[in-house]
Amino acid sequence: MAQCVQSVQEFVQDSFVPMVAVLCSEEAERVTRKNNLNFAELLRPFCRLTSEGHIRDPNNQVQVVKNLRICVNNVVTSPNTAFSPAQRRVLNEVVLSCQPQEGTATNVITAGDCDLNFSATTPWFEAYRENFLQSMPASEHEFLNHYLACLLVVSSTETVPVEQFLKLSQEQHRIQHSGDYTNPKWFIPNTLKYYVLLHDMSEGGEQRADSVYEDMKQRYGHQGCYLLKMNSRTFSAEEDEQIPDPWSQYLHRNNLQSQEVLDDAAVNSAAVENNISAAEGDSHPSTEKGEASNSLESHPLQLDTASSSGSLHTLSAVNPELKKGARDPESLAGGAGSHGASLTLNDHDHIRQFIQEFTFRGLLPHIEKNIRQLNDQLVSRKGLSRSLFTATKKWFGGGKVPEKGISEPKSTCGLLYPPEAPELQIRKMADLCFLVQHYELAYSCYHTAKKDFLSDQAMLYAAGALEMAAVSAFLQAGAPRPYPAHYMDTAIQTYRDVCKNMVLAERCALLSAEILKSQVKYSDAATLLIKMTSEDSDLRSALLLEQAAHCFINMRNPMVRKFAFHMILAGHRFSKAGQRRHALRCYCQAMQVYKERGWSLAEDHINFTIGRQSFTLSHPENAVTAFRQILTNDSRQTATQQGAFLREYLYVYKSVVLGNEDRLPQLPLPCIHSSATRVYFGHERRLAEGEKQAATHVSLDQEYDQDLAAMWCHLEEQLVAAANRGIVPATFQPTQCCLNSQTDNLRFPLAVAEEPIIVEVTFRNPLKVPLALSNLSLLWRFTAEGATPSEEKTTEESAGEAVTNEEALTEGTTPKDDVVTTEIILEFLMGPEETKLARLRLLPHSTGQLNIVGVVYNLAAASSGEPTPSSEGQQALEVMVVRGRQDLKIQGPRLNQTKEDKMLVRHGQDRRLDPIITPPMPLMEVFFLQFPTALLCGEIRKAYVEFCNVSGGALCGLRVASTHPDFFTFGSQTTTPLTPVSPTSAENCSAYKTTATTRQPGSVASETLVSAKDFSQLSGVMEIPIEGGTLQPGESTQLPLWLRGPDQEGVHEINFLFYYESTTKGIKISHRVLRHTVFICASRSLSVQASACRSSVPPHHSVDEKGSGGTLVFVDVENINTSEAGVREFHIIQVSSSSRHWCLHKCINPANDKDCKLTSRERAKLCFRATRCKPHQATSAAVEKYTFADLNLGNERIISSSTPCGDFFFRGCRPPQPQRVDGTSSRTSSTNKSPASDISNIVRKCNELDLNIIVIWKAYVVEDNKQLILEGQLHVALQTIGKEASSLTPKEEAQEMALLKFKAEVPAPVALLSAELSQLIKTNLHYPETYTHPFVQESLCVVPVTLTLSNCSSAPVDVLIDLRHKSSSPESLEVHSSFTWVGQTQYKLQLKPLEVLCLTLRACFLQAGVYNLNTPRVFAKLAEQGAMCETSQQAASPALIIINSARVQPQGDVLGLLD
Amino acid sequence: MAVCIAVIAKENYPLYIRSVPTQNELKFHYTVHTSLDVVEEKISAVGKSLGDQRELYLGLLYPTEDYKVYGYVTNSKVKFVIVVDSSNTSLRDNEIRSMFRKLHNSFTDVMCNPFHSPGNTIQSKAFDGIVSGMMVQTASTV
Repeated sequence: MAQCVQSVQEFVQDSFVPMVAVLCSEEAERVTRKNNLNFAELLRPFCRLTSEGHIRDPNNQVQVVKNLRICVNNVVTSPNTAFSPAQRRVLNEVVLSCQPQEGTATNVITAGDCDLNFSATTPWFEAYRENFLQSMPASEHEFLNHYLACLLVVSSTETVPVEQFLKLSQEQHRIQHSGDYTNPKWFIPNTLKYYVLLHDMSEGGEQRADSVYEDMKQRYGHQGCYLLKMNSRTFSAEEDEQIPDPWSQYLHRNNLQSQEVLDDAAVNSAAVENNISAAEGDSHPSTEKGEASNSLESHPLQLDTASSSGSLHTLSAVNPELKKGARDPESLAGGAGSHGASLTLNDHDHIRQFIQEFTFRGLLPHIEKNIRQLNDQLVSRKGLSRSLFTATKKWFGGGKVPEKGISEPKSTCGLLYPPEAPELQIRKMADLCFLVQHYELAYSCYHTAKKDFLSDQAMLYAAGALEMAAVSAFLQAGAPRPYPAHYMDTAIQTYRDVCKNMVLAERCALLSAEILKSQVKYSDAATLLIKMTSEDSDLRSALLLEQAAHCFINMRNPMVRKFAFHMILAGHRFSKAGQRRHALRCYCQAMQVYKERGWSLAEDHINFTIGRQSFTLSHPENAVTAFRQILTNDSRQTATQQGAFLREYLYVYKSVVLGNEDRLPQLPLPCIHSSATRVYFGHERRLAEGEKQAATHVSLDQEYDQDLAAMWCHLEEQLVAAANRGIVPATFQPTQCCLNSQTDNLRFPLAVAEEPIIVEVTFRNPLKVPLALSNLSLLWRFTAEGATPSEEKTTEESAGEAVTNEEALTEGTTPKDDVVTTEIILEFLMGPEETKLARLRLLPHSTGQLNIVGVVYNLAAASSGEPTPSSEGQQALEVMVVRGRQDLKIQGPRLNQTKEDKMLVRHGQDRRLDPIITPPMPLMEVFFLQFPTALLCGEIRKAYVEFCNVSGGALCGLRVASTHPDFFTFGSQTTTPLTPVSPTSAENCSAYKTTATTRQPGSVASETLVSAKDFSQLSGVMEIPIEGGTLQPGESTQLPLWLRGPDQEGVHEINFLFYYESTTKGIKISHRVLRHTVFICASRSLSVQASACRSSVPPHHSVDEKGSGGTLVFVDVENINTSEAGVREFHIIQVSSSSRHWCLHKCINPANDKDCKLTSRERAKLCFRATRCKPHQATSAAVEKYTFADLNLGNERIISSSTPCGDFFFRGCRPPQPQRVDGTSSRTSSTNKSPASDISNIVRKCNELDLNIIVIWKAYVVEDNKQLILEGQLHVALQTIGKEASSLTPKEEAQEMALLKFKAEVPAPVALLSAELSQLIKTNLHYPETYTHPFVQESLCVVPVTLTLSNCSSAPVDVLIDLRHKSSSPESLEVHSSFTWVGQTQYKLQLKPLEVLCLTLRACFLQAGVYNLNTPRVFAKLAEQGAMCETSQQAASPALIIINSARVQPQGDVLGLLD
Repeated sequence: MAVCIAVIAKENYPLYIRSVPTQNELKFHYTVHTSLDVVEEKISAVGKSLGDQRELYLGLLYPTEDYKVYGYVTNSKVKFVIVVDSSNTSLRDNEIRSMFRKLHNSFTDVMCNPFHSPGNTIQSKAFDGIVSGMMVQTASTV
């Protein structure tokens, strides 16, 4: 229960006050009416006595009467027994008029996870209670509100006042005793009559009044009469004095309330009300509670008509206090605030004095006397009559009592005691005692009476006694006994169930609840109050439920949810009772508990109610907010329900919009996923034009990929670096055509005038009903050039000059096209729960700063597939189109850099929607012709590329960068063959430049010397060789483009980035780029494996040839193509070499007379001899010159040094080489920093071959029953002698079964080194194969053996030759013991680079046999190095010599070659 | 049998509410929501005295005119509420208790599902089945 202004004691005490009736003569009435008041009203503010009174109880104890209030009322004789509908209406008005003020103090209660904000006091409830208790009808069973006394008021202006007094006295007597009137009721038969002479001071004649008063004193005694002088103020003084108006708080409320009623009536009866209820008619929300939903709609309307028709007249008619006054409306309207206008402060004092005099001299003694009298009666009866009474009852009716209870249930409450019944006398005395605050005596009397009534089964009487017993027990100051709560419960139950008297039950409940509250028994109070709610009075139920809710929240453990629930119930009842404001307030308070806690169904219901109530109370803004909540929340409602919500929302929204037209309001639907907004600058790409294929560039259809973006950015960086002489400017920013949530949006994006800006907005329809959007367009603000476009402040400053399309769109007229053209999407339908993208376009025409603010559209509920019940409904749907906007607010990414950022939640800027419009830029389009999608590995194909300048400005500086620079070439300037430029004529031409040669067997390769500079370009970036370097507006040019299939099979994504600049400098955008992505499917063609080894031809043979030593090159070619159907066969038509130092010399294939054909899975081996080419040139400054040697196997020679063969060679083979050297050098330097690194370099150099083999093939392919000839080339780079190289990277096999190594491998640099060093010196032994020696003649046979040492390295080498046997094993000792070297057995020599030295040794044999001569041990070391590096050279295969024992003449020497 | 079964998270938002389809769903939402006050009261009253050795079953929370509301709180403060028609007098306390136990077991299974993210509403066919089994099949009887 809410807190009250009054204390409980005060409240209970004031609920039962002595009643005093007033009878006025007409003249007196006239006098008081000067003050706009009747007499009772005049007295009302002074009815509370400020001083203490005293009374003696029957035992002569003095009882203090404190703070007594009396109630003065005009005598109303109309029957007023029941609680009439009129009275109900008055109560309704009272509650209606008492609304919580704005900004009154509110309580904040934190219970659990809720912070509740609600007003702790409920003045409307108190007002209701006060009015209710005051308008309690007097009833038979209790006397508390029976009149105790009667004031007879006569004016002194009366001709004969005494006569008037007599008349009034008779009148009173007639009313009380004639029996004509059941109302009013009188306490005691001989009612106290108090004679009041009213004297109007303004009318003079004071003496006369005094004399009349004297006369009265004589007649009625000075305690029974009073002369009240008043109206001493003249009207002239009215303006000067400010007199307090004590009546206002008692009477003014009535006027106010009538005003309010008028307002509300006007609101309620507005046409919209009918409209909205009509709109909801067909689909009323099922969330409303059952039957209540109907009355919610119908009832308030009924009430409205009632209150509006009978505004003032009804009020004055129904109000018992106002009735007798019979004031005409105009006087009330005119002098609403001027009560007591003729009264001075002195007069106020007079009145107060009068009341005090009356109470203390008249009323209290009268009561005292009556108590005494009653007490005497009772005491005298107690001994005899009471017992006699009960005895007689026992004798006569004892057996009948239970039977009566059953057979005549009516009599239990309808039992009537005669007025002089002794039980009633007790009750009467109790009431009197209660009124004068003698609660102890009152309690005992009530208690006695209760017993008597109960034994008589007089339930109504008993309940009354119980109630009052409980109250007086509570009010007893000392509290000798606990408060008997069960008395109250019984009383309420009896009133309600047995007597069916809800009014009394309600009074009892109000008292009880208040008392329980004071005893902190909130739970009991709540139960009591909830029990009292019933269907017969919505207002009461509402108020009590609200109080119950307050009880729940005031409990020690506040029950928030119960509070909320009962608030909702109260709100529901309020709305049924027509108390819309209160209903709204209740729902709003309950909302605090349900809000955002997942109870969506309940939340929706509350929101809906709030929305509707707000709307009818003409707070459409609140209504819109509430409805918006329903629609934006993820709702569990059904589709039809949502449809109804939507329609209602649209309706309310429309009425709001009609109110203010200046600015478009925000719409909640559909939801915009603003961070998903993408902005695209530029035209949408044409994908193809005829057979031309356009560059893919960027489009909105692509997904953003972080890696791809990084890749493009890297490419662009390369391009910019190439354009700026290798330096990337500090201000470089990658071009972003399409901005989304993942791109860097910190800067203002740059857009180009006359190029469209496309904004892709993501709409989501959260509802289960379709939505129809129309006239969808972007909302923007434009600031022309000049205003610095930086921060928000500038946009505010320059707001004056900023142009926006808002007004134009609001009015729905055609938007302004002079600055920015706005495209409008006419229809945009969204299905239920659909997410849909809308692409909205702007075309800026002038430079400046553009801000895209939001979207503007018409929203309507789309007519779904369901059949609409009536055409009327259809029409309503069509009307429900509202125009509104939604702002696009994009929050930047959360910052996470500084500590503050991490502690707080900060978001960065997002400038996606604020492009700067720059002057027009050139725009290029790129098309590709005959661009293949599938290639064989290494296949060469020729395609064409076309560059078009589609803008009005010239462009230059065309460049392209690619992720696969080895994939394509534009050809080199110097060596470009004269190929047909137009693609059509080159249909069946070979991509290669060829010359026809007749091929002789064993022909020597033709050699060409080419500088690498002719081909070399920067790694990733190529300048595009267009004529003149610039492309004029509208011009287009076509260039050939050679492509080579990637070496690895599979699908390759190849990215091109074209770069161009404007010819005019100094524009914000320094360059533009165009992206292109192709996917090439590469299928396997040939695999080429090559290896080289030193030919072991003795030096003197090779000396004849060119170079110091020949190298044999073996090329294994295998057809690994898997598609047998497509590719028939491969022909190897040419093998070329390219190197700085070596070149292929001739083909030494055994079967060299045919060109090599390879069908599927076939393998061929080709052998070539390579020679060191032109050493003078190799050592000269022109190191970078490459020798291309072509060995054609067919009839035509392909000039490998020209485009495209040479281009692809340089693209494909060059990059790995430096990389590899870098790798090894870094490795060796890290492992051993000793001079060994030097050695290894030298040694490596000695073994280095650096010969690149180019295998050019032709493939015969059948495709669509046509035979095609495809050409291609494969590269193999032979780095070192002895190592096999392959055209395929052997990665796959190696990686497959790699062992996991848990320990780091210990590097073995020494072993590696010695292995390499062992190759330093090449040794050959020359000796006769068979030697016949006549051992018979000469026992020693000496055979000369020549040891040839050749230094392979380019450094001087020290060589140590040791001929002594150093046998390590016994058997070798055995073998070698048979022969020995004679002569010098150890040589120390130094070999110059590439020197060949012959050493003649002599071997001595003792007997015939077969010997292994290969025993000399050769140690070599580099000349400058220490001994540590000395290594033994290879232990070669045995060199066998056969020594024959000659019997005949020895034959000539035979030279053999054994190795 | 039950007319409404609800699972409410520790933070007092609904994880699962099912009610007999023929009846007013909103009413049950309100009823269940309001019952949380009583649940909280009971927990706070019991929590002081017994600590961990708390009985999960809370018994009858409160009777309304038409329904009886029973409560059950797991150790992780997840609340189960079962609303039963008051006219159904055949239901004993023990049966309600076993219903809650069954519900709890099924709920545990749902929580064990690695694809269920705790705190989200329960979307499980198995759980639905268990709940349906406990509810009155009004569609067939009416």
